[in-house]
Amino acid sequence: MITGITGIISDLSLYRRLIGMQLRTQVQYKVNLAVDIFTYFLVTMLEYMVIFLYFNTFQTLLGWHVGEVALLGAVVSFTFGLAELFGSGLDSFSEIIRRGEFDRILLRPVGALMQVASNEFRMRRLGRMTQGLLMFLFALHLLPALHWTFAKLLMLVFGIASGATIFVAVLLLGATLCFWTVETTELANILTYGGREVMSWPLSVYNRAFQSIFLFVVPLAFGLYMPVCYLLGRPQPLGLPDAAAFLSPLAAALFAAVAYVFWRFGVRRYQSAGG
Amino acid sequence: MAAKTTTMIETHDLSKAFRIAKRRPGLFGGMRSIVDPEMRTVSAVRDLNILVERGEMIGLIGPNGAGKSTTIKMLTGVLVPSSGKVTVAGFDPHRQRRALASHIGVVFGQKTQLWWDLPLIDSLLLLRHLYHVPAERHAENLAHMRAMLDLDEFIHTPVRQLSLGQRMRGDLAAALLHDPELLYLDEPTIGLDVVAKARIREFLLEINRTRGVTVLLTTHDMDDVEALCPRMMIVDHGRKLFDGPVTGIRERFGGERTLIAQIDPADLATLPRGGENQPIIEGLPAGVRQVPAESPQVALAFTRDALPAHELVAWLGARIRLRDVTFEEPDIEDMIRHIYEDGLLLKEEEEAVSVG
Ligand SMILES: Nc1ncnc2c1ncn2[C@@H]1O[C@H](COP(=O)(O)OP(=O)(O)O)[C@@H](O)[C@H]1O
Ligand SMILES: [Mg+2]
Repeated sequence: MITGITGIISDLSLYRRLIGMQLRTQVQYKVNLAVDIFTYFLVTMLEYMVIFLYFNTFQTLLGWHVGEVALLGAVVSFTFGLAELFGSGLDSFSEIIRRGEFDRILLRPVGALMQVASNEFRMRRLGRMTQGLLMFLFALHLLPALHWTFAKLLMLVFGIASGATIFVAVLLLGATLCFWTVETTELANILTYGGREVMSWPLSVYNRAFQSIFLFVVPLAFGLYMPVCYLLGRPQPLGLPDAAAFLSPLAAALFAAVAYVFWRFGVRRYQSAGG
Repeated sequence: MAAKTTTMIETHDLSKAFRIAKRRPGLFGGMRSIVDPEMRTVSAVRDLNILVERGEMIGLIGPNGAGKSTTIKMLTGVLVPSSGKVTVAGFDPHRQRRALASHIGVVFGQKTQLWWDLPLIDSLLLLRHLYHVPAERHAENLAHMRAMLDLDEFIHTPVRQLSLGQRMRGDLAAALLHDPELLYLDEPTIGLDVVAKARIREFLLEINRTRGVTVLLTTHDMDDVEALCPRMMIVDHGRKLFDGPVTGIRERFGGERTLIAQIDPADLATLPRGGENQPIIEGLPAGVRQVPAESPQVALAFTRDALPAHELVAWLGARIRLRDVTFEEPDIEDMIRHIYEDGLLLKEEEEAVSVG
């Protein structure tokens, strides 16, 4: 038990050091980095403006008002940015495999996943998180009647943590596929970028089968959308009880566990690269 | 803690066959390749038996594609063997990969483990945490490596700006900071110039002698093996062709050496000419034949049993004036061809059978 805890602490401190190496590389090019973050901020801001274009023409979307959709979009954006930031290494795993660098990772006496996850840390993702944060404040301004309680604040934290965990787990699944072929990296992208897009709108715009997939298979809606419904006071999808939103961390943990088992399986049958 | 025996590496009929899926292009092709792969098998290593004692320095030599790197990957636990048994430092490498990792150091000639964009020192300091080396021990080892490998002249330079030889010195230090008992080197001298090669060989001899580190290195350069290893194994197409002492190896399998003579231009003009206007040396001793060379050079290939090298030089010098002579030793490809052609492999196997 004690060794388990000290193990985790030493892993975390190693993770911090490995990320530190990446950061030191990036800050060598300070101007580049600033431009990168700002560009990403602008791009994600443009993406987000679609919401206002829609509400320019229509008053509501299946009963949702502009402020509500804006808040949903902002939380999703921030969460996705967070996942992209911490999942950078997983996102670029196909490169690690292609360059034969995974051999080296396996030659070290520390966990492979931790090394892969800390192999990259794309600071420009801060651009998307900034955009999410700003738009969250703007959405609050559009929702003067929103009444905050402790439960709602907790739910906001749950939603962001669970959602980010599930997005990272999807990246992990995509990375694991690279053990079989490095030509399917698009597959994970469809799920992450697609998932972000889908989550940004009221779930009831999609048909029931599609809703079920995002609730129970890739539980992004369970982990992220349901907590947001809770804090907006909107009914939960598929008639689920409101309290079910409290289970969002559980859904995220389960999905992440499945992804991790799959990853372990992939590592064990890793075949290295020729040459 | 694994029991300290005198054996460092032991394999029994170690084999690796790669099943390679033929890739189909595009996203759906990629997905189909997962679900319904079209497979082809490559036998990279076949029934390899290796026994390496602690403190040995052993060379694994063979041409490209012989299975050297694959063997190393199985001996480190990176790859799971298709069949056979393997024990390294008392561990089962694939099943106990992370435990074994603390006991071994690995250097790949073509790939660095250093952080490319950062000064060398950053990598060397970080490795302490990756290998959980006690601070004092790490400081001691680092000081030692800095002195032995003269790292100080470039230790604050980003790795990407280092020459290949400097980078290799950095990689050697990186592989040894955690006091491994066993060092694997996969083509450590590839692409290096003569000076850099010599320096690395010297260092390897030194750590083998002073620290007792067992060294297994792969190469396709006979000179590496002759300079470093009392014992070597020759592999080709995944099979071991030879396992034994290095001394006398060229005599046994060496095939032909080549004498290259620079002829005095005045004498060159007097020589008769053959095909492609090549100068011809007439009346060569038995066992010597002329092979094509760039004028004004003449190349003579000869076997060791034909006559000693200095006699051939004397014989040639008595006929024409020589500006310079050099010898070319047979490379590993020549030796392997010789092993096959003369059925030497077969003889070894018969010996093994009659002994066993
Ligand atoms: N990861 C791999 N996947 C498929 N084939 C491989 C892989 N690694 C090596 N091979 C094949 O196995 C054979 C031996 O390769 P290798 O061990 O790299 O030889 P060497 O290091 O002696 O040059 C080659 O035919 C090579 O193409
Ligand atoms: Mg090789």
